[in-house]
This record gives sequence, C-alpha cells and structure tokens, in this order.
Amino acid sequence: MDDGDGVGAPVIGDKPAIERVATRPAEETHRSSAEWIRKNLFPNPFNSFLTVAFGIFVLVSARGLLNFVFSEERGWDAVRTNLRLIFTHAYPEEQYVRVWVCVGVVVALACLSLGLFASGGEGLRLRKISNALNATAAAIALGVVLREPSVLIGADGETVRDADGVVRQSFAEAMADRWAWWLAAAVLAVVALAVRRVPKRSDGSPAAVPTLDFAIGAMALPVLSTWVYPWGHYAFADGEFIAEPGRTVAMSTKVPWTVMWALAVASLIVGRWVSAQVDERALSRLRAVVAFTWLVVPFVLYWVVLRDPDLDWDRIFTVDAPLALAFGIGGGAVLWWLTADGRGELGRIGAIALLGFAAFHWVAAFMGWYPMLQKVRISFLLLAVMALLAHNFSGEAAKRRRLVLAWLVITTVFHYFATVMNTPSTVETPTEALIGGFAVTLVVAVFTLMLSFPLGVVLALARTSRLPIFRVMSTAYIEVVRGVPLITILIFFVVILPLFLPANMEISLFASATLGYTLFSAAYLAENVRGGLQSIRRGQYEASDAVGLSTVQRTVFIVLPQSLRASIPPLVGQVIATFKETSLLAIIGVFDILRMANSVIPAQTQFLGIKREGLLFVSLVYWVFSYMLSKQSQRLERRLGVGER
Amino acid sequence: MSISDATVAVSEELAARDDMIVCRGVDKWFGDFQALSGITATIKEQEIVVVLGPSGSGKSTWIRCINRLEAHQSGQIIVDGIELTNDLRNIEKIRSEVGMVFQQFNLFPHLTVIDNITLAPIWVRRKSRPEAEEQALSLLERVGIPEQAQKFPGQLSGGQQQRVAIARALAMEPRVMLFDEPTSALDPEMIKEVLDVMEELARTGMTMMVVTHEMGFAREVADRIIFMEDGEIVEVGTPHHFFTEPAEERTKLFLSQVL
Ligand SMILES: Nc1ncnc2c1ncn2[C@@H]1O[C@H](COP(=O)(O)OP(=O)(O)O)[C@@H](O)[C@H]1O
Ligand SMILES: [Mg+2]
Repeated sequence: MDDGDGVGAPVIGDKPAIERVATRPAEETHRSSAEWIRKNLFPNPFNSFLTVAFGIFVLVSARGLLNFVFSEERGWDAVRTNLRLIFTHAYPEEQYVRVWVCVGVVVALACLSLGLFASGGEGLRLRKISNALNATAAAIALGVVLREPSVLIGADGETVRDADGVVRQSFAEAMADRWAWWLAAAVLAVVALAVRRVPKRSDGSPAAVPTLDFAIGAMALPVLSTWVYPWGHYAFADGEFIAEPGRTVAMSTKVPWTVMWALAVASLIVGRWVSAQVDERALSRLRAVVAFTWLVVPFVLYWVVLRDPDLDWDRIFTVDAPLALAFGIGGGAVLWWLTADGRGELGRIGAIALLGFAAFHWVAAFMGWYPMLQKVRISFLLLAVMALLAHNFSGEAAKRRRLVLAWLVITTVFHYFATVMNTPSTVETPTEALIGGFAVTLVVAVFTLMLSFPLGVVLALARTSRLPIFRVMSTAYIEVVRGVPLITILIFFVVILPLFLPANMEISLFASATLGYTLFSAAYLAENVRGGLQSIRRGQYEASDAVGLSTVQRTVFIVLPQSLRASIPPLVGQVIATFKETSLLAIIGVFDILRMANSVIPAQTQFLGIKREGLLFVSLVYWVFSYMLSKQSQRLERRLGVGER
Repeated sequence: MSISDATVAVSEELAARDDMIVCRGVDKWFGDFQALSGITATIKEQEIVVVLGPSGSGKSTWIRCINRLEAHQSGQIIVDGIELTNDLRNIEKIRSEVGMVFQQFNLFPHLTVIDNITLAPIWVRRKSRPEAEEQALSLLERVGIPEQAQKFPGQLSGGQQQRVAIARALAMEPRVMLFDEPTSALDPEMIKEVLDVMEELARTGMTMMVVTHEMGFAREVADRIIFMEDGEIVEVGTPHHFFTEPAEERTKLFLSQVL
C-alpha cells in the first residue's frame, strides 16, 4: 500500500523521533582529540594567537576567582549562617514548615508533570557523562595548581598558609596538603573511565541513561551527604551566630531536603505509572488538569500556605459566601439564557449591555459616586467577559452546561481568593512584608509573568488587528512603555500611583511593584508575540476562514498556538529578563535577595562590611535559575517542534 | 461574447436543476488593476465545472470571491440563494456551505490529522466531539487514509495532505466544493490519488467548481468547462465542444499550448 508511512519522520511509539535529528555523524566522534585540537584551535597563525591569548585570559581570571573564593580572609560564614535570611528574610522559623510545603508542592508537581509529559527521547549518552566527569576532574586539578596559597606576613617573616588557616612550611607542602582535591579529581577521572567502558547496547546504539532519572539520581549524592559528611552546622539565632564546622548540617536542613528528594522520586514514578496506565484521551485530559494546576498553584502557595489567612467565619457566612453563591447562580442563569437556541443577536446585545453595566461600576468607583465591594465590580466584569464569549457555546445542552460549569469554577476560585487576600495573615513577622529575599524575587517574577503573558498576547493581537483604534492604542502603549526605563515605571507605581487612587482603594508595595513589572514586561512580550504572529502564513488564515471559524476561534485555535510556538526563544528570553529585573526591587524599598547581600548582611555586627561574598553567592543563585530556564526552553522547543515541517 | 451564449451551452437536463452559484457582472480590482471584469455565470446543483485559463487570468481570484476570501467590488454573487454582501451573517452562512481546497493544502500544522478535520465541525457546526470524530474517521476512510488519523500533517506526503484537506472541507458537509489547483503542488506520482478522490466525490453528486490544469480530469469529469483570460470569461461549453470545436481564437491558442 502506498498510503503507508513511507514519507515523513520515522516514528517511535506515538512520538515522532525528532530527537534523532540531533545525532552527530559517526565519523566525527572517531576523530582523535589531537586532530580536533589542531583543526579547531590552531588552524592558522592568527587563530592560534587568539587561542593562546584567550587561554591566558581565562587562566588569569580563574586564578583570581579561585584566590578570592578560597582566601582565608573570605567571610563565607556570612553567607552560610544567613542562608535563611537570603532566601526568605524574616519569615518566622517556627512557621518554616510552610516554606517547605511550598517547595514540596512545586517539586512534586514538577516531577509529576515530567513523568506525565516527558517524551523519553534517547537519553543522556554515557559518553557525554564521561566527558563531563573528565572535564570536571581536569578543572579541579587545574584549579588546585592555579590557586596560590595565601601568603601572610607572620612573626618569622613569611608564612604560607592554606584556606583553613593551617600553617605550612612551604609552597610545595601547601600543594600536597590539598590532597582531598587531588583525590576528588582522581576519583572523577576513574569513574569517567569506567563509564566509558560500558559496552554499546545490543542493538548497536550507544549506551545511555534516561536524562531525568540520571539527574534525579545524581541529586541523591548531595542529599545523602548531608547525613554523613560534616559540611558544618551554621545558624543564626537571636542575633548570635553558631558556627560548628565539624558537624553535619542541622536537622532542619537535612530532613526537609531528604523529604524533597523522596517526593521528587515518588512523583516521577507516579507520573510515569499513570501515563502508562491510562489511554490517550484520559492522558490528554490529565495533562490539561496538571497545566491548570500550575496556574493555580502560585496563588495557593503564596496566599494560603505562606500567608495562612486568619479567616473570619462570621463574615464569610454573612457576606462572602452569599455573595459568591449569588454570582454563581445568577451568572450561571444569565449565561444559560444567553446561549439558548436562536438567541442570536439578542445574546450579543445582552453581553454588550452587561459589559457596559460592569464598566459603569468602575467609572463610579473612580469618581467616588457610591461604595461597592471591589470583588463585586470584578465579578460583574468577569461575567461580562464570559457573556461575550458565550456564543461559542450556544446550542447543544452539553456545551451550555460546560459554559455554566466553567463560570461556577471561575466564580468559586475568584471569590475564594478575593476573600483570602482580604484577610489578615496569622503569620507574624518583625518586618512589614511577609517574605523577603529570594522568595520575593520568585513571587514577584511568577506573578508578573502570569499576569503579563495574557496582557502581552492581547496587546500583540491588538497591534496586528485590522481595526485602527486597537492598533493605534496598542502601538502607543508599547512604544511609550518601551521608551521609559523600568525603574521609572516602578517608582511611578510605588510612589505616585497610590496618590491617584480613590480614597477607598489601597494598594500594597508588592502589588504596585508587580503591577509596574507586569505592564513593563507585557510591552516586550507583545513585541515577541507579534514576531510570531507575523511568521504565520496567509494560507492558515484563509483555511480557517474557509472552514467557517470565527475570528476569535481562528485566533485561539490556529493563530496563537502557532505563533506562540514560533516565539518561544524570545519569550523565554523575556522570562529570564523579568526574573533578573526583579533585582530592582531593592531600589524601591523591598528586601529582595540583592538587598540582603548588599546592605542587610554587611550591617550585621558579626559580618560588618562583608559584602562581596554575599554578592557572589547571589549572582550564583540568579545564574543557576536563569540557566535552568534557558535549558528548559530548549527542551520545550525541541518537544514542540513535533508536527511542524 | 454574451451571457446568452454561455447559457446555451447548458444541456436541458442541467438547465432544469436549481442554481447553486450565480455570478452576475462581477468586477474585482486590486488597486488600479482589474482582475475580474463582468464575470457572469451560473453553476447548477450537482454540476461539475472546470475553470481553465492561462496563469494570471483571474481563476483563483474568482473562486476566492465565491467564499469571500476576496471581496468583489461590483456585481452580484449568490450562493444557494444567499447573496454575498458585507453582512457578516451571510458570509458565515456561505462559508459553512462552501468547502474549499487550496493548492498549498493549508492544513493546520500544529494539529493532528483528526483534529484538523474535527475542529470546524465541533466549533462551527457545534457537533459533539465523539460524533465529529466518528465522521472524521469515515471521511478519512473515504479519502483512503484511515490509518493516518493521529499523525501531524508534516509527517504525510503531499498527496496524503491534500486528501486530508479534502476531508477537512467535506467534514463541514458543504453543498459546494471549490478546488483551486488542487494538484499543482504535488509530485506527479501523487496527482492521481487526489484526482481519484475528486472523481469519486463528483459521482456522489457534489456541486464542484475546479480550477485545474489536468486536461484529463476536465475531459472526463466536467459537465462544463469555463475558459478565462485576462479576468474575463472567454468561452463556455461541454468538454466535447471545448476540446473538439472551440469557437474562440484565444481558446484555440490556449489549447494548442497545453495539449
Ligand atoms: N492580492 C493581490 N493583489 C494584487 N494583485 C493580485 C492579487 N491577487 C491576484 N492578483 C493579480 O490578479 C491577477 C489574477 O490572479 P489569479 O486570480 O491568482 O490568477 P490565476 O489563478 O488565474 O493564475 C494576476 O494578475 C495577479 O497578479
Ligand atoms: Mg491561481
């Protein structure tokens, strides 16, 4: 039969073997390394010169960095004892289990998703692992030689000392005393050799381990080591700091990390088991549920878990619950009515009337005509938006039910969070804000992205719209925002915005900062999405029109999925930029991770003026997260490449 | 040539049927350039009309005006009794009655074959998903590729993609199918599989308007052939008339070039 699978990518299971494309031609791997070096590093005099010059530069910088990090004068204790401060600031120690619950939920959900979504691929080749181990071993060995021992002027003239302060008789002895490092390098090299010796698989393909299993398995090493290796016990308690280098780490560190690791393994196993059990249809539904959970999780973690609202049940029973019920039932009825058969024009007019009604309350709020609960205003607006989309669900009873059900879920979720957010927290901190440090970086970045993504997409669509009014408004917004420095926008929102708000509206520092970030980031995201929109061929629009899709349907089902896919790399770039730009929070008075290192720790009496260590550590934290994001984006790109030409 | 000449060519049996597509004096400009001038033609129910003409003669433009991918500036286009105007509701109605197959297939690359086919029935025809999928599978069966349902368009050959595109159009249960050079982007060995599907479709009584350069198809399957040049209809006639005794000089010239 010629209809068969003759054409197109080969298929493994139900997934096209896109990863195959990355396979290197075999001859390249067989070339000797000497030849490789000659060809790539010393092909001609000029390039040889560049190689040497650059090599010297790298060695000198590495030596400087190593000398700095391992110098006896370094106050790494300032970082070690202040880890909690750096990550969560003043969040109370006795409530710390809440922080771990948050980490746990994210870890579990992440591993569950990986188990459910992961495509398998061809895994991590052992050869690659071996190369990485060898490179690490070489780097360590080189580092040991490069790093000079601190030379201090003692009573007897010059004394050579090592980082731990032990006095050595000579430079050579200092080198020899770094035996632990030599040993580590040697062990790594031996392991690398052993790994390389693993024979090819029986089908001739190179030996490999599944990437995910390897990563999580490797994670076991540091986690286990907290139980056996004396990393040292450092803590800050009542302004005093404890440093006991000979002990293993504190219980409050190793227990949670071990639990996290176990949780990761368990979730991964559960995710894989489930994805093997259920059929395709159930699996795709499950994935949708997981994706939706990701959207809700940040809100739950911050507002419910970390903040632990002190719920006022009397008010809930008399005001909040009845209100939610009224909107749920009333709104459901309105939507049911709007979608009845043959409502046609009337439905559209009804939806627009509802929008006008909702908008009116907002005008009234800003003019101060009459008081109204903020969440009532928002509820009307939500209902109006649903009503505008309602005609897509008209006709069949099952579809109408789905619309009403969606409304009930939205109302419940919204009213729940509106209530929770307006309730004071039970967690008491000595500072104004609940959290600080890296937690604040994450919270602001995550909320900014969740809010600015939809906004950015809407702006991009408006800018490419056929209607000039949308185009002009969106273009003006984007160009204005892109022409103003972020810090100006932040200061505007934090300092000036509260002055404009009507008397009965308040906005917290976090909220206004997040708003500023959101509006800023949305403008850039919009430009990235627009690039994707422009990459879509005209035929896609024509085909959508020809099968009768409406403009909204065409946008949601055809245009956006393709254009977002096309713009993943710049979108991730924007995500990383936003993540790093949260460091500006320090300037507007938020205690974020940068401020911890730059001004809080250096002000502690024990660590007066110790700044550079903290800054280096903070840079490392930023780098690790940004790097993980960009790696994930590459994975995503490869995965989503599926199905495209 | 006049309108009456064009209608003469319609056989009596055809003339008795209802009108499916009526064009009266359709003009279309792209800026200053007139792409269609005074197109007047009637296509009857269940009729197969092949539109021939040199490249750039306005065939695509005409066929795309019929489901409003292009808007005409003057004259009338009436499809199944509904006139195409700027009224969005009429456009919606006509689009759900008219299926279109493009030269470049224009499948949705991010959706599987089955999702390509069921998308519009679910969201425009408001079918339930199981119902739409059942229909999609039977359509895939009909175009001869039931086993490809879960693949992505990029994994199929050109001929297979074009057959999916036909299934996608048929899933909307249209009354008319428009084909704009459906085989021109295909490798020669795949042309036949697509033409076979179209022939089968013609036998089931679908009204079809086909722009093509496949003279064999025109000769065998068409009820009538319309020959266009420079945005005008030059000659209309049965395949027999057309290939044996064309009346117009321009038609003869064209035929001498392609045959
Ligand atoms: N979007 C457009 N803008 C300007 N001119 C166009 C456009 N589409 C088609 N044309 C012109 O109209 C004429 C008819 O084109 P077309 O209908 O595609 O011809 P055919 O399909 O018969 O080859 C051509 O001269 C072409 O250049
Ligand atoms: Mg054409």
